[in-house]
Amino acid sequence: MISKNLTAASTKPIILGILKQGSSYGYLIIKKIKELSGGSMKYSDGMLYPVLHRLEKEGLIESKWTVNDESRPRKYYEITSEGKEALLAEKTQWTQVNAVLNELWGLETKTN
Amino acid sequence: MFNLEKAIKSWLKKFYKHSAFNHGAIREMELHLRDHIEDLLSEGKAEEEAFLTAVTEFGDIKIMAKEEYSNLKRKTTIRSIIYTHMFNNYFKTLFRGMVKRPLTSFINVFGLAVAIGICMVVYSFMNNDYSIDRFHTNKDHVFLTTFSVESDGDLENYGKSPIPLGEMLQKDFASIERVCRIKDGNVIMKVNDKVFNERIRFTDPEFLDMLTFPLKWGDASTLSDLNSIIISEEVSIKYFGDENPVGKNMLMKVDGSNKKTFKVAGVAKPFPKSHIIDFDFLVNFENLKELKSLNSFTDWKYLVDATLIQVDDPANIASVKTGMEKYKLLQNQVEKDWAIVSFDFVSINDLHLASGDIVDDISFDGTYEGRVTLPIIAIFMIMLACFNYINIAIVSASRRLKEIGLRKVIGANKKLVTIQFLTENLVITFFAGILGLVLAMSIFLPWFVDLADMPLELSLLDQKLWIFLLGTMIFTGLISGIYPAFYIAKFDVITIFKGSVKFGKKNTLTKVFLAVQLILACVGITGAVMFAQNSSYQASRSWGYNQHDALYAAIPDYSTYEQLTSLMNQNTDILSISGSEHHLANSMSAAVIHLPDRQYKVKQLSVDANYFYTMGLELIAGREFQKDFESEKNSIIINEMMAKDLGMSDPIGNSFKMNDISYEIIGIIKDFHFNNFYYEHQPTVFNVANKSDYQYISIKAKEGSQKDVYMDFQKNWATLYPETPFKGGYQEDAWGEFYEELGIMEKFTTAIAIIFVILTCLGLYGLVKLNIAGRIREFSIRKVLGADLKSIAYNVAKQYVLLSFIAILLGAPISYLLITANIDLMFPDPRPFGYSGVIISVFFLLSILVLVIATQIWKVLKSNPSEGLKVE
Repeated sequence: MISKNLTAASTKPIILGILKQGSSYGYLIIKKIKELSGGSMKYSDGMLYPVLHRLEKEGLIESKWTVNDESRPRKYYEITSEGKEALLAEKTQWTQVNAVLNELWGLETKTN
Repeated sequence: MFNLEKAIKSWLKKFYKHSAFNHGAIREMELHLRDHIEDLLSEGKAEEEAFLTAVTEFGDIKIMAKEEYSNLKRKTTIRSIIYTHMFNNYFKTLFRGMVKRPLTSFINVFGLAVAIGICMVVYSFMNNDYSIDRFHTNKDHVFLTTFSVESDGDLENYGKSPIPLGEMLQKDFASIERVCRIKDGNVIMKVNDKVFNERIRFTDPEFLDMLTFPLKWGDASTLSDLNSIIISEEVSIKYFGDENPVGKNMLMKVDGSNKKTFKVAGVAKPFPKSHIIDFDFLVNFENLKELKSLNSFTDWKYLVDATLIQVDDPANIASVKTGMEKYKLLQNQVEKDWAIVSFDFVSINDLHLASGDIVDDISFDGTYEGRVTLPIIAIFMIMLACFNYINIAIVSASRRLKEIGLRKVIGANKKLVTIQFLTENLVITFFAGILGLVLAMSIFLPWFVDLADMPLELSLLDQKLWIFLLGTMIFTGLISGIYPAFYIAKFDVITIFKGSVKFGKKNTLTKVFLAVQLILACVGITGAVMFAQNSSYQASRSWGYNQHDALYAAIPDYSTYEQLTSLMNQNTDILSISGSEHHLANSMSAAVIHLPDRQYKVKQLSVDANYFYTMGLELIAGREFQKDFESEKNSIIINEMMAKDLGMSDPIGNSFKMNDISYEIIGIIKDFHFNNFYYEHQPTVFNVANKSDYQYISIKAKEGSQKDVYMDFQKNWATLYPETPFKGGYQEDAWGEFYEELGIMEKFTTAIAIIFVILTCLGLYGLVKLNIAGRIREFSIRKVLGADLKSIAYNVAKQYVLLSFIAILLGAPISYLLITANIDLMFPDPRPFGYSGVIISVFFLLSILVLVIATQIWKVLKSNPSEGLKVE
């Protein structure tokens, strides 16, 4: 199980990452995260929405309601170009952290 | 059965409790939940289970709301930027408007500034009044002992107390920490060649511990030394100049014969401005024995001027009060005529405010009328200024219709327009507040201080002043701004642009306000006129005796009287000389008369046989005292009022007991005013004074020779008593303060009336001007079509004529009632002037109204119609 803090910190890149692949709506995004993490990232579904709304206010994503005749209306979120830049920045940061950790643990296995 | 729809609905309700979620967000949540439930159902779960799982996985709504709310807050920073721009725009509009319409801006700002300035003066007055004698460290613990006596059915409070009380209180109550007695006395003080009549305080050494006046030089504890004297800074400068007088001698002469040299042991720092209780000289209380020939301090009949106590805890004063019963018994055994009903204590914090109801206390309340009338005047001023503002705002709104319409079209709602106008108003009031403070400090307050001779000030360092000013500004700003703001915000955009809005011209409220202003102006003018009438009436009233020809002087003893008389008798301009123990307007005593059915309190004056002729007191029945004093020992002369009160058909020849001696009434004199006209006639008796008790000499001079006789009088005094300063003067000067006060009242009411009238006229002027400006095309067309003076004047004035008529019809009786009630409250005797004051005022007010309107009509007549038609 991934810790609460880490989950919270990673929500932003994860959401942006998912939306990069194509616009989506809240329930679908949650479902995707659960699938990808194999259930190891567990948090209450509701907490996703404040994050989405915040990202929207920051201009990283955009939303629009779509009404379809056959299904329910949905609020679709779409990543903006600013959001893409932000995702890139997040990616670099996470890769750096990842590299540091890999190096550390790689060294450890060597000394062992 | 589980109902899924119902369950979802009730779950959604939880979101509505939180303001963080808007409708869209809640809808989004609903869709999420429905999607989730649908998925779970397709997995084969039951409805209830699916719902519960979805809700559980959704999580706590409260935490979500908190998170969402922090998003909202971030949003306000963006909004606040918009607001800053918005307000900047408002200010710009306001300033441009003010510059463009200088007249209305002036009327608004100046009117409000005058009103706020007057409020600041009233603040200064009230602040001073409520801080009097409240600077002593122990103020919450120090109390004055008072007692109440029944007098003709009413309880009268006295601030004096029997001399033994102080010592006994100290012994009997553990909660009383300190006691100090105060007895004031008149003495002559001499230092080198400086000799003055002075008033000194005999008091206990605790005085300066209880009333903590700080000393500039010397030591407060020296008051326990019988030979020490502590003086005020003023006295120190008077006798010793700028040098430190500690250690120097002062010679005190009391009652002509007793003398004692005191050593200056301390000089007080200047007393704070807000004070009443103070001192010139302090000497130890024990000196009373030697200097006032008092054998012991155990006589319950002897009253001191004050007994102050200091308790350990203010709450204990109640228990001290209940323990006073035994002293009451002791006192009442000795003084049966003045039986005490109860003792009481008044905190020195409240003493000044309470002393209007306490007779003979060490404090006094000279500001009662001010405390009542000044706040009312201030409120009237604010009302006048606010009405001006409201009227002008409503009428001038017609010039801003397009602006309001435009704002509304580009998205301003009612709330925003209201906010805009309220902001404008608060900014104007802010200017007015600052200007008002400047006006108060530079004009109003100095004028008032000079007029009323009160130590008032406005200090910019005073925190309360700023709070009061801010409060007044916000109050005034809201009161004057709310109605116009709502009124203007209400307009419909479409009608504005159609040009079919007509308002401001027929607004009922504007008319009501104008009427109230006219009524207030009427009250103001009536006040000024009637106070002036009252002053001249009071000046011409008879005192009931001949004060013009009489001179008097205080004398220490009978030998002085004899020596002076023998010298003065050589002056042929002198018609009569009289010696007395008491003297009109200066000194009298009180006595209780025992009638068969009741006790009757009277004022008593002991005089000699010449007194009635000398002072011009008129005998209306019986006879005066005869020269032979011994034979008149039991004769008494009463005044008219007492004769009436006694209820006898012919009082002469009747007898009654007074101070255990039986007296026979031999004459009745016409009522006279012992004190000034604030006081009613009092039942008074005259008896023959013992020669050894003489304290006054009075002289009647031939008409026209008063001045020469007075010079001779003073010259003779100076040759006989070079060491004793002369204390006396013209009898008619005795009421100097009273006439001075009448003059102050007259000036004050005139000033208030002028301000009332100016504010009202400014408001009216602004209204008429704006109204005409709004109808300039109409008037131009009328002129082109040949309208003459009569028709133009009728068209301009018609809406004001009826209004003024109604206002004056209401204002005249209101003014009359208010002002006469005010005068009757101050002067007990009936006032002979009737409606003339109101008639003069109404006439005056009408002339001003006509003048204001006429100037505007004149302008319309003079204007070129082709210019007027060009106006958009």
